[in-house]
Amino acid sequence: MGSPARKVRSFLYRYFPVILLFVVVLNEVDFNYLNLKYFSFNFSYILIFYYSIKRSQSLGYVYIFIAGLFNDVVAGTPPGLSSLMYLILCGAAAYLRNITLRPSLIKDGIFFLITILITNSLLFIALNFVFDYELELFDQIINITFTFLLYFLFSNIFNLFEKYLMRNNNVR
Amino acid sequence: METSRDDFVIALRSAFLKKGAQQRFSLLSLIFFSIIFLILGSLNFKATNYAKIVIEEIVYRSSFVISLPENLIKDNYLVVQNYLELYKVNEKNKSELKELKSKNISKNIIEYENIRLKQLIDDYFVAGNQIFAKVLIDKKSPFLRSVIVNKGSKNNIKLGMAVLDDIYFIGKVVEVNYTTSRVLLISDVNSKIPVSLEPNSIQAIMSGNGDEEGIIEYISDANLKNKSEKLIVFTSGMAGLFKSGIPIGQINRKNFLLDKEFMIDFYTDLSQLKYVKILSFKKEFLNPSIQVEEKVSKIDIENLKNSKKENINFLKKQKKISEEIRKKLEDKNGLLNKQLTKLRKENTELNNLISKKNIIISQERLKESDVEFLELNLLYGNKCSKDNIKNILKKKYKVGTPEYRDCVANKGKY
Repeated sequence: MGSPARKVRSFLYRYFPVILLFVVVLNEVDFNYLNLKYFSFNFSYILIFYYSIKRSQSLGYVYIFIAGLFNDVVAGTPPGLSSLMYLILCGAAAYLRNITLRPSLIKDGIFFLITILITNSLLFIALNFVFDYELELFDQIINITFTFLLYFLFSNIFNLFEKYLMRNNNVR
Repeated sequence: METSRDDFVIALRSAFLKKGAQQRFSLLSLIFFSIIFLILGSLNFKATNYAKIVIEEIVYRSSFVISLPENLIKDNYLVVQNYLELYKVNEKNKSELKELKSKNISKNIIEYENIRLKQLIDDYFVAGNQIFAKVLIDKKSPFLRSVIVNKGSKNNIKLGMAVLDDIYFIGKVVEVNYTTSRVLLISDVNSKIPVSLEPNSIQAIMSGNGDEEGIIEYISDANLKNKSEKLIVFTSGMAGLFKSGIPIGQINRKNFLLDKEFMIDFYTDLSQLKYVKILSFKKEFLNPSIQVEEKVSKIDIENLKNSKKENINFLKKQKKISEEIRKKLEDKNGLLNKQLTKLRKENTELNNLISKKNIIISQERLKESDVEFLELNLLYGNKCSKDNIKNILKKKYKVGTPEYRDCVANKGKY
């Protein structure tokens, strides 16, 4: 029997990634109200990739699949497309996890860049050529660039958060 | 090579096919599922459509709830931004207000100046009698452009009174009955109104052309040098009937540039008159000037008061500063006086000391001379003394006399 604070921390440790993923997907973190023309990033990609590498059991594939469906509804893209991209990202992360003996942030970042380049290319091709959506290539490049750059920042923040939960809770 | 390819295949297989500890489905199966979902969705399959509707229902409701905090932040951000904008606008308005206030002051000054100058040139000032009338008959005859209004001599209407529509001049009273009057419109050919073309103050006579326009008569083209200017027609007040400066219309640009007749487009549509204002203008000899004088004198008095107040304040400040300086000087003076008395005291003490020292020095000198005399006396006393037998033939002195002393001092020589 733990204290309520410990219970909360334990709950957070277990469900924080899933909750955050659904909040991000439903809320669509876009910072559009800042009126920054050349700024956009895909936070859900960062989140999924990070937790698939670090703690794959925290983000179930089914949750990711549902989150993708939700994202499609919010963004107005064909249902199933975001799920596919998220799952490909998960696959890439799982592959990286399997082949990595000594994890390093730089390697993760570079692999993340390659993965998002592939997934965004697939997304662009599918939307432009299959589903007749009009996408700006330049916006995609901006999005990829900022997603890649912000991966380092957010992975550090997540690291700190994970360390905090692990140290204070002994939840494992 | 074989081993690395095997590793790659194993890693890939493990990533896509292996179910994790808490995973119910493998990644590959979910990928296939999403591809199938995608295809069926694009084919408008019924089941996927229902699923889509259910998902949309869930997403829209939950999205609204989840977006609340972000929306709150967004709204606050926008509110702050609005406040910042408001602040900027306020600052701008403040500066504009300041500018306008100063302009208003200068406008008031110009107004007063204008009234004074008008007074100087003996012009008319105010409308003496203002009557509103309804247009009863407007026959729109091609021969006589006039209207009948429902006010007459009963209402103090007199011949020659000016008729205005709002602020624009439209004609004058040419016939007065007990309850009605006839107004000759400015578009009538018989209407001759002295006008002034602004901004150059060109004097002319305006006549009507029987239609809806006016014609400028008795004007030379030489006066109109700059044709690019927009010329506005006002009453000039020359004949003494109307006040000067009542707007009538403006010169028709097309005809003007083609060097045709100077036609005037009236500001008022004379065919649509319903209510008019009939005015007579009184020559104001005293009242306005007195009012203006009063206003100006009030301003002068206020200015004088203000300047006096400022002077008094200035003098008070000056007095305060002077008192402070005086106090400081007094303090310094007291300090210096104290120092002076101290120095004087020291001076007297030193003088006393010097005189004492001088006495001691003189005594010492006396002693020294005595010692010297005694030394010389020992050596040469016998040469000068009368008591010595050897000096019988020489001139000798008695011991103790001044001559003896001199002799000793001269070492026994005479």
